[in-house]
Amino acid sequence: MDAALKRRLEARFGDRLTGPVYQRHDETEIRIGPGDVPDVCRALHDEPEFRFRLLADLAGVDTGDVMQVVYHLWGETSPDWLRIVADGLSRDDPRVPSVTFLWQGAEWMEREAYDMFGITFEGNRDLRRIYMPPDYQSFPLRKDFFLPDDAARSPGAGVRHMEQVHAPRNTRTADTIRKVRA
Amino acid sequence: MTAAPPHGQREAPSDDPRVQLDQDAGVFEPVPPYPPRTEREAEFYTLGDGEMFINMGPQHPSTHGVLRIVLKLEGEVVVDLDPVLGYLHRGVEKLCENADYHHSIAYLDPLEYISSLFCEWPGVLAFEKLLDVQVPRRAEYIRVLSTELNRILSHSLFMGWMALDLGGLTPILWSFIERDEIAEMLAALTGQRLLYNYLRIGGVNGDINHEFMSRLGDWMSRATNQIENNLGLLNQNEIFVRRMRGLGKLDKETAFRMAVTGPNLRATGVPLDFRRAHPYSVFPELEFDIPTRDEGDCLARYLVRMDEIKQSLRIIDQCIHKMPDGPVMAKLPRLLRPRPGRAYAAVEGPRGQYAAYVVSDGTDQPFRMRIHDPSFVHLQSVGVLMPGHLIADAMAVMASLDPIMGGVDK
Amino acid sequence: MTAVARSWGRLTLAGKILFTVIPILLLLTAGLVLVVVLFGKPIVDFLAANIWLVRFIVAASAVLLMSVPTAFLIIYMEMKVIALMNLRIGPDRVGPFGSLLSVVHGLKVLMKEDFSPTGSDRLVFTLAPVVVYMSAVMSLLVLPFAPGLFGADINIGLLYLFAVGGLTVVGLLMAGWSSFNKYSLLGGLRSAAQVVSYEIPLTLSVVGLLILTGTMSLNQISLNQAGWFTNWYVFQQPLGALIFFIAATAEGNRTPFDLTEADSEIVAGFATEYSGMRFGFFFFAEYVNVFIVSGLFVALFLGGWNAPIAWPEAWAIHLTFDPGSTGMGLLFALLLVPPILILALAAPFYVGRSSLPWWQALIIGFVLFNVLAIVVVGGWAFISLDWVAGLLWFLGKTYLFVFTFVWMRGTLPRVRIDQLMGFAWKWLLPASLLNLFVTALAVIVINPR
Repeated sequence: MDAALKRRLEARFGDRLTGPVYQRHDETEIRIGPGDVPDVCRALHDEPEFRFRLLADLAGVDTGDVMQVVYHLWGETSPDWLRIVADGLSRDDPRVPSVTFLWQGAEWMEREAYDMFGITFEGNRDLRRIYMPPDYQSFPLRKDFFLPDDAARSPGAGVRHMEQVHAPRNTRTADTIRKVRA
Repeated sequence: MTAAPPHGQREAPSDDPRVQLDQDAGVFEPVPPYPPRTEREAEFYTLGDGEMFINMGPQHPSTHGVLRIVLKLEGEVVVDLDPVLGYLHRGVEKLCENADYHHSIAYLDPLEYISSLFCEWPGVLAFEKLLDVQVPRRAEYIRVLSTELNRILSHSLFMGWMALDLGGLTPILWSFIERDEIAEMLAALTGQRLLYNYLRIGGVNGDINHEFMSRLGDWMSRATNQIENNLGLLNQNEIFVRRMRGLGKLDKETAFRMAVTGPNLRATGVPLDFRRAHPYSVFPELEFDIPTRDEGDCLARYLVRMDEIKQSLRIIDQCIHKMPDGPVMAKLPRLLRPRPGRAYAAVEGPRGQYAAYVVSDGTDQPFRMRIHDPSFVHLQSVGVLMPGHLIADAMAVMASLDPIMGGVDK
Repeated sequence: MTAVARSWGRLTLAGKILFTVIPILLLLTAGLVLVVVLFGKPIVDFLAANIWLVRFIVAASAVLLMSVPTAFLIIYMEMKVIALMNLRIGPDRVGPFGSLLSVVHGLKVLMKEDFSPTGSDRLVFTLAPVVVYMSAVMSLLVLPFAPGLFGADINIGLLYLFAVGGLTVVGLLMAGWSSFNKYSLLGGLRSAAQVVSYEIPLTLSVVGLLILTGTMSLNQISLNQAGWFTNWYVFQQPLGALIFFIAATAEGNRTPFDLTEADSEIVAGFATEYSGMRFGFFFFAEYVNVFIVSGLFVALFLGGWNAPIAWPEAWAIHLTFDPGSTGMGLLFALLLVPPILILALAAPFYVGRSSLPWWQALIIGFVLFNVLAIVVVGGWAFISLDWVAGLLWFLGKTYLFVFTFVWMRGTLPRVRIDQLMGFAWKWLLPASLLNLFVTALAVIVINPR
């Protein structure tokens, strides 16, 4: 836990943080709104007191209520992993600005998040599906993903497979999906 | 009487991609049969003057697995490229969400079948962080010992592949000797040659045994000589060195911009190794150097990896001598229900930063399991490195980044 | 009808084959006899008047027949040698030490389906392997294997070799173009660029040698190098030999210059779309080419069929043995010598090892006798027949070079296309010109006319 980093973050982004800076083990977490992502990331990347130059990871998260995009950064100025949670993306039309202007390497990670969650990264030059086929229509890692629905939408719909899929026991609707307060 | 409509001409709107995919394919063109989805795609699939597409993969001798790259060529020079992934996509992240914490570890293994232990480790570390588990020191030493062995395995295989992609037949078979001895050793330790499933939350599955130690001791006594011998095949080979030098240059800024880590980053002169930069396990107690090179070309990437083999041998030697006695597993309940929370853990693998981000919702299954694999990130930097090179060099550049398609496609 | 059908059904496979083949053979024999009886005289007269025709047909058939076993041998050699260099075992299943594996390969290639891909140019696609193979076989025609043992002693033999060898590239280009595959096209164009570039240093490197010999006949060049090994042209033209060797490697598309079929880059180059015997032709042609460039190197620079040492006349062994002069004695010797020798060779084993049954001892004796007979007859032929000794020396030296090519394949990675071209134009061409000028200068200075 790096208390100095916490103080610096609070001083720099005080009003933009949508929640308290959270620290556990070797991680420091800040929460921001999706609109603040480019400014905050640019500040963290460029300003000498932060210098978080390495984008360690970019992940989409579906909490069941909202969508999140989680960035993990690493820099020499702090021994901690810095986690930025762009919180509160609507599940119907999740949109967040892209960070490819800072890290070109985020392009594929954003494509993956788009492919799996349907999060639209505005400013990514090549936002198309990366793993799933181009005519695929579901977003598999969303919590409301339901395999029979997906099969009905797929290009192979109506094809009888050798393996019979057993009837599902529970169907996931909007009120039965797993949710978490993350 | 009307004839049956020919295959592929169903009643459907003409902009439905499915219909257009069904056309009879006598001649395969890499241009997708549907309208472009992004501007970048539209730009890429428009041919300029004197350019042509060539479709490399998914079945091609040197794409290291099932990767398809559409190359836009002018003569033999690569102008632009569009990697197409997903041929090996298994949805590991989704699988992990439906398995309990112990079970998830087994799903992490086949991500990178060359360095499986490094795929397990970040997941296990993240779970341990969620659960606040203290791992016994002996278990930590065993983890370091086995993963460093795995690193040597991965790097010696890399050396062979690198040479094979440049047309050398012999080095891969020589380096397979090293690889096989280590695989046998790890099989004695873990019970498996490739997909070890060895690390556990709170320790490792089983203490080191006699067979492992005897094999290890036997191998350590001649490892340095054997590896030097293998390196002699390539390091003084004029053709090899001349082809690799100055090829696929990556500078520091680009490397950070492309989120490159591991040996590929260290080859550009940045001594960033998470074993030192963000210490985990018992690495603070161990002595080793971080080999770096300043050139950033394929030769530097190759040499950094070869130097790392020597450092790994040093670490293994220290592990054997410093290994404390004690248990190899922490006391844990069988059913794990961590408190709701989030944890991120990363380790320094043979290719770079292997990381896992886990969100827990208080049940016995991870709510979200994000796996970060360096191969995925490194493969996208071929888009920066390949243009301007010949086809032959393009393959060498890709080989020097050492991507494993299992990790890329998750 | 039924009786015939039943009998036919009862025959084994071998029986069926014999029943069909024997009548055909009988018919053919009868026809041949008839032809000889009716037109024997004019045919013989015609052939006697045109003996070159007989010679050509015999030589062409012999060369065609020897090309396939040569390819088999080199393929086996490559598999085994590279395996040993890779610390593998290599082929070990078919035949002794797996030596028949390449023959099985050949049969497999014959039996595979022979298809041409959609969109390919059928005619050119089919002709391409034939062109490549024929150019390889035609080159064999002028190689001097031994004194008096060559297809044709053309006085422009070397020129002919380069001309016919250059045809290979036409075949490769045809294959690359007609396959309707971009990898094939790249391979074909690469081969065109490569072969055209290396043709120049290859030819120029030999010009210096031609100044020294004054002839282009390979037979005459070999004759010029008789005597001690210091007479070999490699000592007078070391640079020329080196350039020739490198350029010949590129001409034969061998590692490190095997860019036309670089598997890690362009799959299999021009051969990507080929299968079956069409591919087999390419495959065999490659190995026949290896034999040819090795043989050519030996004939030009390493004394051809000449032994490295010249026996002084005083030491010469003259084994003039005319079997006809011994009359009936030969018959008795042939009858008596084998049994006696077999018994004599079997006796020590039977006596020395009491556990050995007599028939096993006899088998050992028989095998030993055969080895002995081969050694004796071979030795006699080597000493008293020029062409046997010459052939052995020639093949020995040639396979040494074939081994070198295989060795390079096992050791070296592939060069890049620009390095390849740069090497040809920036280094080999100036070096071969230098070689030419220095040779010319030396000839003028040492023996001015």
